[in-house]
Amino acid sequence: MAVLVEEPPVRSAGTPPNRSRRGATGVGEARGRFPTFAIPALVWYGLFMIGPVVAMIVIAFLSWPGMLVTPTFAGLDNFRVLFSDETFWAAVRNSTIQIVVGLPVMIVLAFLLAFHVVQKPRGHKVLRYLLFIPALISAPATAMMFYAMLNPDGLVNGVLATLGIGGKAWLADPATALGALIVVDLWAGIGYSAVLIASRLDGVDGEVVQAARMDGAGSWRLAWGVYWPIARDFIGVVAMLQFLSMLFSSAQNVLLLTQGGPGTATTTLSYLVYQKAFVDTDLGYSQAVGVVLFVLGLVGMFIIRRVLRRTH
Amino acid sequence: MAKPTAGTRLRDRIGSITGGTIAWVYAALLILPFYYFVVSSFKDNDGIFESPLALPASWDLSNFTDAVRQASLGPAIANSAITTVAALVLTLVLALPASFALARATGRAGRIVEALFSLGFLIPSFAALFPTFLLAAAMGLFHTRTFLVLLLPATAMPLAVVILTQFMRTIPRELEEAASMDGASAWQVMRQVYLPICIPGIATVLLLNFLSFWNEYLYALVLIGPDTAQRTIQVALPTLKVDAGTDYGMLMAGTLVTLLPVYLVYTILQRQMQKALVSGAIKG
Repeated sequence: MAVLVEEPPVRSAGTPPNRSRRGATGVGEARGRFPTFAIPALVWYGLFMIGPVVAMIVIAFLSWPGMLVTPTFAGLDNFRVLFSDETFWAAVRNSTIQIVVGLPVMIVLAFLLAFHVVQKPRGHKVLRYLLFIPALISAPATAMMFYAMLNPDGLVNGVLATLGIGGKAWLADPATALGALIVVDLWAGIGYSAVLIASRLDGVDGEVVQAARMDGAGSWRLAWGVYWPIARDFIGVVAMLQFLSMLFSSAQNVLLLTQGGPGTATTTLSYLVYQKAFVDTDLGYSQAVGVVLFVLGLVGMFIIRRVLRRTH
Repeated sequence: MAKPTAGTRLRDRIGSITGGTIAWVYAALLILPFYYFVVSSFKDNDGIFESPLALPASWDLSNFTDAVRQASLGPAIANSAITTVAALVLTLVLALPASFALARATGRAGRIVEALFSLGFLIPSFAALFPTFLLAAAMGLFHTRTFLVLLLPATAMPLAVVILTQFMRTIPRELEEAASMDGASAWQVMRQVYLPICIPGIATVLLLNFLSFWNEYLYALVLIGPDTAQRTIQVALPTLKVDAGTDYGMLMAGTLVTLLPVYLVYTILQRQMQKALVSGAIKG
């Protein structure tokens, strides 16, 4: 651990103004200079976070077809392979569907939920308690839950059977597997997003709402005409959070529920990074996808910011 | 705003009904799986498939004991607890002095360091899983929970530093100057002036990271691996899912066991936890 470099504060019984200045420089010597106490955290963060990301970018330009093979410089070869690989484009397609379908649905439903909760209807306290639940549960527990419900003998098919509707192997059918993963995202993401948005809606000025009510605005217009514009910026932040978590961490649910299959029906970009590194051990390829993911994250954040930027 | 017409009134009616319906349908979707889980964890496969929502015939705990034995959940819980607590301590040990320094720094260096930490929110750390794995191997800590204890605080650093720095900024300078006039060293100023005021911030950081450390999956899976003496609960749980012939009652019993500590903390510290989750996300 680093020690703050400073002279020990001298207690001079001298003149008060002088003493006060001396005191200020004593402890505050670091003020304005380098924040020495931050060095351990910075080193730690650099070693375990920045280091691997820099390494990822470097490896993306290496040919490294297996952990025991010595890597060689490959220039843009990995990216050339990537852009002509059908699996990569399938992953781009799946990630795009996941986000373009999942994110707007999640944000709109979360907003309506949040709006409902801040009106303080009956049971709103119970609702607030429940909305946090998905945020508490780990990815494996959530996945096991959906695995138990969506498997051919699970709850969903059981309920459908009592209604006389034939079931499906939801996670093993290429037609429904990606949809099932989006449902998991929605289940897990709506509650937390709603809680976050509600925390902003709580702060909306009561007088504005009162005035709108006086003008005869009902709930629907109040929600979209008053609350939405006010909270728009903030909803953008929530959307960005959920966007990043969908784009970067979808690998967990895919790994736990479908392993990218059937075929490439649920291979997302994030899962492709994992699969190429730890299943196929094509390391250059894997990290090249990682770089693509990084760039897409930045581009997506920029787009969301433009779409949900305050208009007035 | 225009006078309400019959049309808009109808739309408003529909609107308010929609909000309430969405809310309660979603609430039902949050509760139903738990009900299903609890009743299923006392049944065998036949019972689960035939009457998924019926109450179990007997409250037999054998699924729980089987789950704990088959997936070695006992040591897994211990490993998760050790990893989480050690990583939390390390997070504070690193983040507190850093935030203290950043809150007091006025120069350009302070701003640059702070910006560096904020950039961390953009890092797809998971995509860099493979280099992280290489790092673990290079340090000779591959397949140990020790590496996770070292790694997790780094992933938590941006948020922890941002939250704590904000708290420390609220401390009036006079308080610190008074202390320094008394000859206190920077270290003493931090401990005696800054820390007590930061308790709410520290609680937020601890609660948020308790959740994310306890729930950490992919890092734990790849870096600690399958060794039952080292693996955490999140890695142990999915081993109950078998490609052919999963015992669902056991799987659900096991899942409930992993959820227990989190629920316990949430129920006791509901207020603080909710506040932590909201403030943590927004600063991130």
